[in-house]
Amino acid sequence: MRAFASMVRVTMRQVVGGRRWIVLGLLALLPAVVMWFASIDPSPPGAFERYNDVPLPTLLLLVVPIVTLVIGSGALGDERRDGTLSFLLLRPIRRSTIAAAKLTAAWLAASLIAGSAGFLASFVLAVRADTWITLAPTLVAVLLATAGYTAVFMVLGHVTSRAVLIGLVYVFVWESGISFAAPSLANVSLSRIGLTAYVGMLPETASALGEPLGALAPGAGGALAKALGIALVCILVGAFLLKRMDATSE
Amino acid sequence: MTTSPAVVTGATVEVREASKWFGQKVAVSDVTCSFGPGLSGLLGPNGAGKTTLLRMICGLLSPSDGSVSVLGSDPRRDHRVYRRVALVPEEDAVYGFLTARGFVSYAADLSGVSRSGVERAIQTVDLAAAADRPIAGFSKGMRQRAKVAAALVTDPDVLILDEPLNGTDPVQRAHLIDTFRRLGAAGKTLIVSSHVLAEVERMADRVIAIVDGRLAAAGSVLAIRQAMADIPYRIRIDSDDPRTIAANLVATECVTSVAVAGNTLHVETSDLPDLGRRVPQVAKDLGVRLTAFEPEDESLESVFRYLVRRRT
Repeated sequence: MRAFASMVRVTMRQVVGGRRWIVLGLLALLPAVVMWFASIDPSPPGAFERYNDVPLPTLLLLVVPIVTLVIGSGALGDERRDGTLSFLLLRPIRRSTIAAAKLTAAWLAASLIAGSAGFLASFVLAVRADTWITLAPTLVAVLLATAGYTAVFMVLGHVTSRAVLIGLVYVFVWESGISFAAPSLANVSLSRIGLTAYVGMLPETASALGEPLGALAPGAGGALAKALGIALVCILVGAFLLKRMDATSE
Repeated sequence: MTTSPAVVTGATVEVREASKWFGQKVAVSDVTCSFGPGLSGLLGPNGAGKTTLLRMICGLLSPSDGSVSVLGSDPRRDHRVYRRVALVPEEDAVYGFLTARGFVSYAADLSGVSRSGVERAIQTVDLAAAADRPIAGFSKGMRQRAKVAAALVTDPDVLILDEPLNGTDPVQRAHLIDTFRRLGAAGKTLIVSSHVLAEVERMADRVIAIVDGRLAAAGSVLAIRQAMADIPYRIRIDSDDPRTIAANLVATECVTSVAVAGNTLHVETSDLPDLGRRVPQVAKDLGVRLTAFEPEDESLESVFRYLVRRRT
């Protein structure tokens, strides 16, 4: 347990170190800024509807994927790049423990940044429309989507040094493009994990956000199960790769 | 039955017919050797395959062929062996944002050992004064020492050091060599790789030489040198009349070449004991005063040069 906690602590510092913290922090302001400008116009639709139209998709389709891509891919990728992977591997700890600790740390760090983005956007809505109705659903959506994304990007970061590039293609081509082409494709979209949780907790948004959900049934429980399932699979895959792959620095 | 000098009894680390290739490139080829308690040097030029061999021993690389066992276990299959094994890698495998103390503590946490040994490990590598500074600001030598401290904190039975003296100044180097020798004398298995021959010579009781991924020689420096009977010994003879001695020696069967430089005579011989008997006799007979009779090439440097030349 001490090894796990230590690894989480060090990894959190590692993945948000340097300029990453500043860049991702600025990115986290984007939904709030968008919400601010979107709610200037007093004419209908109201601020709540406008929140669902632009700031929420900005958060779930842009901020969360990019934050998790940078942080998740760095969880194991930074160790490989910096040559410190051997420092972890030559320890009497299970590879699954390493993968789980790495994912936990990356998820916590990414959630802190993406969650702040969600909080700030909801805060602007609260200032404009005097309602905090979106705060809890937004935070739950962010936490679950972050878990799914971080897990996938952690594995990606371990297997390739081009994880950020590949991840960006995935985010912009698949998540923001192709996955909208047919309702069934929403099943294999990570961003929809957050969206189903959000709509499940705020059923009144179902009409506005129903289309992106495609064939998915809204609900936080289903989203939680899916996020946990992806995290578990990625931990197992990560552990397998750590065991099987040669640990050479780049 | 003959036993290879590359294999020792009571080995803690065994490499059996191990090869490693990366695509078309063969990094290590069919190496069989073992290491026991004490300090062993792994010697070879850059790119010889030392790091690959050490990484296979640690379990960081899987052998393409053959096998490796450390303390009776395959490190690729049994991670528990890492309770007793530590590596000081060649590369800068440190977390720059951690302090030296934080780095060593992290190593202790990951290995499941008490943090009570952190101070001792830091003291051992003489890093106490800088222990609370981030490693990012450290010199190369200080980073090396931080890595050694992180390895020592786990009190390993097998310590593998890949070019551990790189970047250290002479004082630090002497201190680390002394530390390694003490650990070796205490019964720990230390494998130290280096391409700086003088370092290995100062540290190791036993040397494994790797050239082009193959085992080139094994044993003590002297034993390796003697095993290479096809290469003549080079002897330096200082005297007050080298030309007279040269004229007498050049006709003898055991001498293959003679060169005079000032008061020094450089002699190549295929039979060192014979030359050793002959030279004092010749000097006595001719009334020449000898001031030195020294082998020129029993340093590891020259052994190594021979090995490389023999391969190429």
